[in-house]
Amino acid sequence: MSKFFHLKFKFCYYLVICALAFGFSLTGCSSKKLSSKPTINVWHWMTDREAAFQELAKRYEDKTGIKVNFELYAPSDIYAQKVRAAAQGRTLPDIYGLLGEKRDFAAFIKSGHVADLSEVMNEENGVWKECFFSKALEVVEFKENNTYAILPGIYGAPIDIMNIQMLYNKKLFKKAGLDPERPPSNWEEFIDNINKLKKVGVPGLVSGWGEIWMIDCFASNYAFNIMGEDKVIATLKGDVPYTDPDWIKVFSLFKELVDKHALVSGVVIMKNKVAEQTFANERAAFAFNGSWCINVYDGMNPHLEYGVFLPPKVNRKNPMYIWGGGSSFSFLVNDRSSKKLEAIKFLKWLTDKDQQAYLSSQTKNLPSNKFALAEIPKILAQFADGMDSATHPSIWPVNEFPGVIEALGKGIQLILIKEKTPEQLAQELQAIKEKESSRIVSN
Amino acid sequence: MQIYRVKKTFTNILVHLLLISVSIACLFPLLWMFGSSLKTQATVFSDMSIIPQQPHFENYVTAWIDGGFGRYFLNSLIYTFTVVFGIVLVSSLAAFAFSRLEFPGRKAFFIMLLAAMMIPLPGSFVPLYVLMVKLHLVNTRLGYVLCLINVGLSFSIFLLKTFFDKMPKELEDAARIDGCNRLGIYRHVALPFVKPALAVVVIFNALNVWNEYVLALIIFNSKNLMPLQRGVMMFRGEFLTNYPLLMAGLTIAALPIIILYLLMQKYIVKGVISQAIFQ
Repeated sequence: MSKFFHLKFKFCYYLVICALAFGFSLTGCSSKKLSSKPTINVWHWMTDREAAFQELAKRYEDKTGIKVNFELYAPSDIYAQKVRAAAQGRTLPDIYGLLGEKRDFAAFIKSGHVADLSEVMNEENGVWKECFFSKALEVVEFKENNTYAILPGIYGAPIDIMNIQMLYNKKLFKKAGLDPERPPSNWEEFIDNINKLKKVGVPGLVSGWGEIWMIDCFASNYAFNIMGEDKVIATLKGDVPYTDPDWIKVFSLFKELVDKHALVSGVVIMKNKVAEQTFANERAAFAFNGSWCINVYDGMNPHLEYGVFLPPKVNRKNPMYIWGGGSSFSFLVNDRSSKKLEAIKFLKWLTDKDQQAYLSSQTKNLPSNKFALAEIPKILAQFADGMDSATHPSIWPVNEFPGVIEALGKGIQLILIKEKTPEQLAQELQAIKEKESSRIVSN
Repeated sequence: MQIYRVKKTFTNILVHLLLISVSIACLFPLLWMFGSSLKTQATVFSDMSIIPQQPHFENYVTAWIDGGFGRYFLNSLIYTFTVVFGIVLVSSLAAFAFSRLEFPGRKAFFIMLLAAMMIPLPGSFVPLYVLMVKLHLVNTRLGYVLCLINVGLSFSIFLLKTFFDKMPKELEDAARIDGCNRLGIYRHVALPFVKPALAVVVIFNALNVWNEYVLALIIFNSKNLMPLQRGVMMFRGEFLTNYPLLMAGLTIAALPIIILYLLMQKYIVKGVISQAIFQ
């Protein structure tokens, strides 16, 4: 018995040694070809863009002989850690995408990990710079006297952009006797449409309001519309209180939606993924969602007939602003890269009209190059039309305290479940705002 | 007697109901995963049946090809095999030493090892990466394997030591009388004695390594070196997830580990029972 065990042990031992030797021999299998042309390495986290990037890399190699090696690292949270670790180890690639807030971006620039592209962007009367949507460029731009003390300049090239608008289901519109080509243009019409839809058993608006940033976005859109940009910025600066009647009017819109049963049930705890599923399965006539939804709906229900429109105005005198540009996807060039010039040339080519149109058609994302719009699908073009009305907290001169933003989102959720009134929320927000402001002053 | 029989039957029914519900809770996600892998992207949200009427087995072929599973599968096999072998070898030797040998600082070293168990891996990513860069082990299989062996050692040493502690001293003496040196005792007496614990170490670490992805993503720059989980991630987009292919990929990824578990089930149960008896 022990002899048998001994033999078995010996056999397993040698088997494992052989496997080890085989395994490590594979380490050296990948031959490194010597080439006079450099290889540009690009890191990103966008799984859904990978195939299109590989195709574009092939086209670029055919055109210039320069190989571009796109490396995908998903999911995004781990990618963010990888980029930070690589920055510490000084092993960042030639081109990379950066995740995080503007202050992270600024920290990378200060540490010398990001090249300033301003000079190249402004060459030939700024041809490269002018091809982008200005809102997309603002995300990678640091202006004079910015709060991060970064030298003014453009530190990246946007690859595609996003914005958040309203969507409506054309089939359900027809069912309710509404014109499928005419979405509501103002708030009263919107509520009227919902009433008509309800009569034929169609629920009204769905959105992922279980996620606070979605509520913040909707409230911010209407704050800009109801009181105008200057007054919103004045509130952020602390010059206008949240108890101002205009702010109460903004919060009252949510109360009105609840009172008129205009929302799909459970919207207050709904994640955006579930909201997308609800709209795609035609269980809601309206949705408040971002341009990424085209891809999502296409996957969930390819036959969904829908249109895009700006959130209906409450105040017809002021323009309607939507959030856009801020969550754009940009590539940065490593300032320490030995192939910096080649990398910039590649980025210039990648953001050119033809490549942008190809990327857009393949990935169903909005191109950052405004000249590529003529060649993109209709629904994407509809989203792109809204870019003129886009704004984003990351480009505002001043931002709200995180505590106030959180209280605003949670407070609106409480209005949606009828546990708070707009007036109570306004008072609560003002109290938090004053507390946060006094803390800053005392520091 | 009658009351006793009724009471026993009632208890049996309760116990069985509990076990059945636990089994269903464990098996349902697996069944859902398998069922969803046979649906289309559109029907995965509308067809609520576990097994669809029109199963799309071609999802497995698409997942295998699109996810590049061939290469990643081989990589994962190599990593799992080498890491588990490394852990078993080092941890069994270390646990034997901690349990049966007397040397200065034995307790302090052991406490240090236990403390290492408390540090979560993500917390050490950046220093680990910088260390790997300095050792020129970034983007190499060796670097990844060494990191994973390091990750699995603490728990394995702790587990094996508790088993070695229970080995009768007489067995060791008998082996010594038969002419065994320390290494001989380890190989011929101690290792067979802790076979159930070794099975637990193997399955536990194999599972960890097979499902590992985060460290691989940090250490590797080349997709050619990535493990199987990278293929699975290909179907998870930032905003859109291809559920049928993701589920097909997960089913493919789960199969080897399920087979390994079934093969070693006997030892694992033995290991758990004997540990319970020891305690």
